[in-house]
Amino acid sequence: MPENTFANTTNRTMKTEDQAWRDLHAHAAAQLRPGFADRTLRAALGPNEATWDQLSAQASRELRPGFAERVLRIARAAAEVPSLTSQFALSAATAAVCLAAVILVQDRSAKLADERNLADWERIVLVAQDAQDFDSI
Amino acid sequence: MESTATTALADLVRRAQKGDENAQRDIIVAYQHRVAGFVYAMTNRSDYVEDLSQQIFIKMVRAIDRLQAPAQFESWLFRLARNTCIDQLRRQKLRRIFLPFGEEHENIAEPPGAVGTEELDALRHALEQLRPQDRALLALVQEGRSHAEIAETLDTTVAAVKARLHRAREHLREHYQPDHEN
Repeated sequence: MPENTFANTTNRTMKTEDQAWRDLHAHAAAQLRPGFADRTLRAALGPNEATWDQLSAQASRELRPGFAERVLRIARAAAEVPSLTSQFALSAATAAVCLAAVILVQDRSAKLADERNLADWERIVLVAQDAQDFDSI
Repeated sequence: MESTATTALADLVRRAQKGDENAQRDIIVAYQHRVAGFVYAMTNRSDYVEDLSQQIFIKMVRAIDRLQAPAQFESWLFRLARNTCIDQLRRQKLRRIFLPFGEEHENIAEPPGAVGTEELDALRHALEQLRPQDRALLALVQEGRSHAEIAETLDTTVAAVKARLHRAREHLREHYQPDHEN
């Protein structure tokens, strides 16, 4: 009889322990939300091609119809407006032409003035020489 | 087959370089979805997609005649796209510094589920956690650019690209939790 009692007690204890382990496992398993395996795999492998494709598809939907036409129209309009560089080049060229014209006109008027002055001096010299010749006679 | 496609693209680019508007249109139509995807991956803002894609293609049209090697067109286009997106993100950052209370609607990410599936939300969330340079790297790989092409685009070595790509993928995986909103 005592042997039986011992066996029963041992059996009951083991059953309780088994049950405790089973409960622990069940509780732990209940903490995992459905789709745990898929989620874990996805997290381990990272995003797959299909997800990247979804991203591209989502972005593509953001482009309004006629996108290419709009781009070309804006690019054309932008091309018609002279760039800053070309505007600067045009200004520089205009300034250079003006400066050259001023120098040319200045040079020419200086030459004319020199010639006029020289002619005046020659006339004065001639008059002076005539006066001197007249005095000596 | 691939070389035929490459030759056809190079011809198209040459025609576009000569100012052929039909060729320019064909290029835009052929690449607009890929560029839009790249912009979205970089900025995580759907309201930026059209504007930035437009900027990228306008730059392309205006600069395509200066492209030396038509065969390198794709690399060149995605380099333009990357630089345009990074400039935009920099401007956005500066605006936030100097105008902290201006335009409060700026930089509010779309809420999860607003634009797509759980996976797409997770990918967008994960990309947002990365540096723009790393996002660009992953988006370029996703666009099928080789390591050598990316190295050329980023003006670095292939080994450096591989190392940075490895780190970027690790970070992306770290943040990629399809149920992150929970």
